[in-house]
Amino acid sequence: MKRSFTTLTEATLITAVVQSGYGEIITDALLEVGIQGSTIHAAMGVGIRERLGALGVAVDAEREVVTVMVSSDEVDRIFERIFLAAKLDVPGMGFMYATPLLQAATYVPPSILSKYVG
Amino acid sequence: MAKKNTIRFGDYVQAMAVDTQRVPFQELMPEPLFDRHGREHPQPVPKMKLGGGDVVKVLQPYLSTRFIDQARAVVPLALYLALFQYIVLKTPVIDASIVAGGLFAVMVGLMMFMEGLKLGLMPFGEVIGNTLPRKLPLPGVLFIAFLLGIGVTFAEPAIGALQVAGSLVDPEQAPYLFTLLNDRSGTTVLLVGLGVGLAAVLGTVRFLRGWSLKPLIFMSLTPTLVLSIIALNNPDLTTIVGLAWDCGAVTTGPVTVPLVLALGIGVASAAGKGADSSLSGFGIVTLASVFPILGVLCLSFYTAYTVPTEEIIARAAEIKLAAQMAASQPAWFEVTPWTEITLGVRAIVPLVIFLAIILFVVLREKMKNAFITNYGIVLAVVGMCIFNIGLTYGLAKLGDQSGGLIAGAFTSIDAITESPLYSASVGIGIAGLFAWVLGFGSTLAEPALNALGMTVQNLTNGAFKKSMLMGAVAFGVAVGIMLGVLKLIFDFHIMYILIPGYSLGLILTLFSTEEFVNVGWDSAGVTTGPVTVPLVLAMGLGFGNALGSVEGFGILSAASICPIVAVLTLGLYVQFKVKREERRLAKELAQEGELA
Repeated sequence: MKRSFTTLTEATLITAVVQSGYGEIITDALLEVGIQGSTIHAAMGVGIRERLGALGVAVDAEREVVTVMVSSDEVDRIFERIFLAAKLDVPGMGFMYATPLLQAATYVPPSILSKYVG
Repeated sequence: MAKKNTIRFGDYVQAMAVDTQRVPFQELMPEPLFDRHGREHPQPVPKMKLGGGDVVKVLQPYLSTRFIDQARAVVPLALYLALFQYIVLKTPVIDASIVAGGLFAVMVGLMMFMEGLKLGLMPFGEVIGNTLPRKLPLPGVLFIAFLLGIGVTFAEPAIGALQVAGSLVDPEQAPYLFTLLNDRSGTTVLLVGLGVGLAAVLGTVRFLRGWSLKPLIFMSLTPTLVLSIIALNNPDLTTIVGLAWDCGAVTTGPVTVPLVLALGIGVASAAGKGADSSLSGFGIVTLASVFPILGVLCLSFYTAYTVPTEEIIARAAEIKLAAQMAASQPAWFEVTPWTEITLGVRAIVPLVIFLAIILFVVLREKMKNAFITNYGIVLAVVGMCIFNIGLTYGLAKLGDQSGGLIAGAFTSIDAITESPLYSASVGIGIAGLFAWVLGFGSTLAEPALNALGMTVQNLTNGAFKKSMLMGAVAFGVAVGIMLGVLKLIFDFHIMYILIPGYSLGLILTLFSTEEFVNVGWDSAGVTTGPVTVPLVLAMGLGFGNALGSVEGFGILSAASICPIVAVLTLGLYVQFKVKREERRLAKELAQEGELA
């Protein structure tokens, strides 16, 4: 039997490093527009407290890293959505970036697969 | 293969969003410095300069989340008391603006105190817990755990409520109760602290040796119950018993539990025993709520045999005179807010000094992030002072008032002219229901209970649901507070609730598994937080005064035993259900085997 393997292309990974507690706010904002499959990692951040001086006490050193894979077509829209949901325009809140993915793979529903297998 | 007749959203946005600015990341990086040999020169982190608007933006989420946490516990309770008073008892809140200000102070104070605890005191606890066992032999560690137990007791915010409550006791009727809460209050707290210290030591040893909690419960409760019964039959001491049992509930608050646990878990994990059992955190709370009872009972016996009643009454008159003198010309430290501030400083600063001595002198460790830690300590002290002010003017005042007025539902009191408002049976029913709802609501609002529920759910693989545990504990506390109120109405001794309650608890303990024994007995200590304790204490005393009974203590202790019984019973039921399910599955498997 011939082995068949499907890879997904045109995928982009968005990573947002935010203050502890905001991870779920982001994933909720994503779920609202039907984007699932985000991951929240717990992390510790270093540096922002030193930069902010006395105000640094208001910044939680515990961070959450949210990663979510989205289609390259939709990156800008979702990037903006996360930026607003996590209030990243506030100093010390965190940062985010998008990286293109070479290839990705997961379960692909047969209905979609049949359009491409031909 | 993109979809037909579409353009990429990204391209669309690029085309439409004309005001997108592109800034090279280089702009955010510091300029590297090189010395003349071409090596990179160290430079400090550049400070960020923020405008006023940005400062507000940074502080706003920080302050609001923490404030809302406290408001969620305080506001519904206060509203409930005020509305109940207004609608059912037809009396508006007296000094409403002062009470509201006091409650606001409670919220602000608790917010600052909890943040300070997290940033300033907990790091000490963790560092000490992790390094102490490696640098000192076991007896040394245990000795420090013992001292820590005493220190945290003084720092517990709810302990101040005892002293406030003490000023409401009548020295003529309950002389020994009066002296233990007024001129000897320091000794009382010290004895409570000794109890907590002893519990910390025993709890730590238990972690290390993996002892079962059951024999410890039996061994600590039996003498406590016996002593209580002896005191019960002693006319001088019978009033003390309620206070003694309440002390147990007061000690296990937001300072004691995490700090003592951090040390105990640190010791256990250093010995390689911490990770194997998810139960390692339990047990200390239970012991820390039983030993102080024993301590206070012993102190009361000692006082009763050494100090005659007349001396106390004379002393009480002296205190009263002094208070009158002070009222006409008070020293600067005897006036609000200075009294509260001295109390707050006295509670936290010795603990901090003690922790600092251990850390810097005994362990020779350095504190990371000294600025944040110092900030946390300052915050804890300031928060404690504000909380104390709020305690006097908010929680104690409101609780005392509601407690005093609720009596008007079924008997005639001076404060309500048309009292009794309702017939005796309806009025007593209203008072009981009031107490029940108060207990149920305040317990569900307690954040520590939520955490305990999560742990239990994980521990039992979902057989014991979080909501089930929270419901059981809240139901238990509600019934306990109701029983406590009924005790005051019908004027029977609190031991008539506690003896059958604890006996039932002990019997259930015999049959329960180790997990449920740990969870069940700990649930009692967890539920009595810094908002519930002062409110319920003051309510009980106010209620007791209105009814003319000698002392209003004991409600908290009734609220401690009932959840234990509730959780243990529910635990037995869950165990039974799981076993039945297992049997059913085994049967089905056997049948399938036969079919095959």
